[in-house]
Amino acid sequence: ILSLQRVMKSIEFEQGWSVMETGVAKLSRILEELPEPPFLPEEYMNQYTTIYNMCIQKPPLDYSQQLYDKYSEVIATYNKDTVLPSLRNKFDEYMLKELVKRWGNNKVLVRWLSRFFDYLDRYYIPRRALPSLNVAGMKSFCDMVYQEVQSKAKDAVLALIHKEREGQQIDRALLKNVIDVYVGNGMGQMEKYEEDFESFFLEDTASYYSCKASKWIQGDSCPDYMLKSEECLKKEKERVSHYLHVATEPKLIEKVQNELLVVVAKRLIENENSGCRALLRDDKMGDLSRMYRLYHPILLGLDPVADLFKQHVTAEGNALIKQAADAATNQAASSGGVQVQDQVLIRKLIELHDKYMVYVEECFQQHSLFHKALKEAFEVFCNKPVAGASSAEILATYCDNILKKGGGTEKLRDEALEETLEKVVKLLVYISDKDLFAEFYRKKQARRLLFDRSGSEDLEKSILLKFKELLGGQFTSKMEGMVTDITLAKDNQISFEEYLSTNTNTKLGIDLTVTVLTTGFWPSYKTSDLNLPSEMVNCIEAFKAFYATKTKHRRLSWIYSLGTCHISGKFDQKTIELIVSTYQAAVLLLFNNTERLTYTEILEQLNLSHEDLVRLLHSLSCLKYKILTKEPMSRSISKTDTFEFNAKFTDKMRRIKVPLPPMDERKKVIEDVDKDRRYAIDAALVRIMKSRKVLGHQQLVSECVEHLSKMFKPDIKLIKKRIEDLISREYLERDSENPNNFKYLA
Amino acid sequence: MRETVKLISMEGFEFVIDREAAMVSHTIRSMLTSPGGFSESKDGVVTFPDISTPILEKICQYFYWSLQYSRGKETEFHIEPELTLELMMAANYLHT
Repeated sequence: ILSLQRVMKSIEFEQGWSVMETGVAKLSRILEELPEPPFLPEEYMNQYTTIYNMCIQKPPLDYSQQLYDKYSEVIATYNKDTVLPSLRNKFDEYMLKELVKRWGNNKVLVRWLSRFFDYLDRYYIPRRALPSLNVAGMKSFCDMVYQEVQSKAKDAVLALIHKEREGQQIDRALLKNVIDVYVGNGMGQMEKYEEDFESFFLEDTASYYSCKASKWIQGDSCPDYMLKSEECLKKEKERVSHYLHVATEPKLIEKVQNELLVVVAKRLIENENSGCRALLRDDKMGDLSRMYRLYHPILLGLDPVADLFKQHVTAEGNALIKQAADAATNQAASSGGVQVQDQVLIRKLIELHDKYMVYVEECFQQHSLFHKALKEAFEVFCNKPVAGASSAEILATYCDNILKKGGGTEKLRDEALEETLEKVVKLLVYISDKDLFAEFYRKKQARRLLFDRSGSEDLEKSILLKFKELLGGQFTSKMEGMVTDITLAKDNQISFEEYLSTNTNTKLGIDLTVTVLTTGFWPSYKTSDLNLPSEMVNCIEAFKAFYATKTKHRRLSWIYSLGTCHISGKFDQKTIELIVSTYQAAVLLLFNNTERLTYTEILEQLNLSHEDLVRLLHSLSCLKYKILTKEPMSRSISKTDTFEFNAKFTDKMRRIKVPLPPMDERKKVIEDVDKDRRYAIDAALVRIMKSRKVLGHQQLVSECVEHLSKMFKPDIKLIKKRIEDLISREYLERDSENPNNFKYLA
Repeated sequence: MRETVKLISMEGFEFVIDREAAMVSHTIRSMLTSPGGFSESKDGVVTFPDISTPILEKICQYFYWSLQYSRGKETEFHIEPELTLELMMAANYLHT
């Protein structure tokens, strides 16, 4: 029930519309910057109310539709009569300025008008699913104004950008506003910006840089060209941040990269005088870092660089190998010369590795491609033999030199030693015959441990830890066992001496130290049935008795070839203590009973082989310390020689070591390793077939290689032979249907 | 920014209310936030020749009630039945 009836006038259309026209006219004047006071609240509400009233009237006086049409008409007229003419008479930068102004104005116009006409947006427009006032207004500008000028505007913008690229200053703020026009007219989508501007911009950019690239690549050196490219990329990124839309950046950078770097990549990187190889040669780390930075974002861009890096490192490594080999042949005459060259080589390889690892870390940002390149390069030359010695042997010798007394342990401080050992282990990674290295290392380690030549027990353990980390426990288990044996032997010796003192009926007359080795840990040594001097026989028996008290189930084999004896030599001038091997001692002690002995007599009495005896007698009579005199005084031993104790012998020292030059172990080591390899291959083949049951020939071979790769690179022919062998031993059989396949036989 | 606005009814009654309260009406809010709109020197004065005093008064009360409600004070807004129709129409006009 209405308590108040108000008289509501109906408004005729013409009447109401003339009110709106006044408002529109005022708005136009404001936009044209003509002197015009701003809207008062009264005026605003009047506009709004007029529309409101005209829309709530009952039909046929509901003028919603007409008003909606009039709204669009007003804006269209304004665009046609005012906006477009103002743009048509201007060009280039002036036109752009006008466009930006008109665009801004349009936003104001649409906002004001849509607030006046707001009531339409509440009911009429949604009910008819018509474009909102805002959308309609913006669309009018887009269809009428934007469409007409966008192409010219684009040309003007590109011209300005070109100017800026050539080094001139331009109005960046203006360009930013123009770009906003393109983006804004997309009505929420990026299509207009992309189609009407961006695509042309990118094309223009591509041709600009294509031109520059062709010019520069002719005359510039690689570093200079790269500097310019880097600068261009930087400037283009700045361009985006200053006035382009952020979405353009990746497309822009891709285009620039393509023209400046991808198209000319080969020519640039492989440039003879200043390209990648030259930069590596001249240690130009800064330029190489730049090359990495430039090509890193490009798909596959780094591949040629990594490849050249690998080639360079390989060449450097090969040169070192050749150097060492040449030096070795030149110095083949002087003994020890070959040895020195080997050690120099290892040191130089380590230096080479360090040098180029810095490159990988600093220039190439630890990228996996370059790690791989370095690795592959080293794998090439680290497996080349030098003067008949394999790299495995050379490296093992290097380790021996560091670890033995008088070697690295006295010359270098602890940290330096640890570091050196680290680097040695790094080189080991590249050697494919790791099992060969292990065997050489083990042999030399044994000698160090047994003859007390190790410089530092801690270092021995330290390097084994490093090996273990790298290659696993299996690699080091024997070596570790050897070190443990030595430690245990020391304890054992104390027990033995206690035993001797408590057993007063055992008087040895000789100080005896025994080291018990666990077979299997240690390299295999020949035992021989040396006829011991009687003085020693008692000692052996005593120890056997002692050992029997400790364990019942172990058998001792005595390896006299490894023993050391200290003998007092009572020469005419003075007594000198001689440090000799047990074998040598056995020979010398014979002369306690007889003045002279022939070769044959000595041979019979000692029960040694010819090979051994020749070596022994040589060491005692033909080298530096002539403990025995030989008749005739030739430089080599013959079976007809006679020997006599050299009472006239003397030396300024009171104690001397009479060395027994070791036999060349190289052949034996290689033989042993080959034997082990055969077993390893067999084991791997059986293991693979057991789990796979059926497998093709190719696959079996390749899996076998894979399995064993950690320790050595197996010879394919050998694998094939082992397969045949396993077939004949009925571990495997050929598949009757497909002879290329093998089946496991349980 | 001016703190208050003045709303005048058809009979000439002036209601001075907080700007914040007045902005509960979308219509009034649009007006007050238009570009090139009201500078500091201008009054926020609006005349509503089609809204009677009791209605306008009720509307002002509504504005404040609405602010309180949105701040958590959930009370009821009482509308006298005889005002209902005109109030609805005014609310529609003011987009409240």
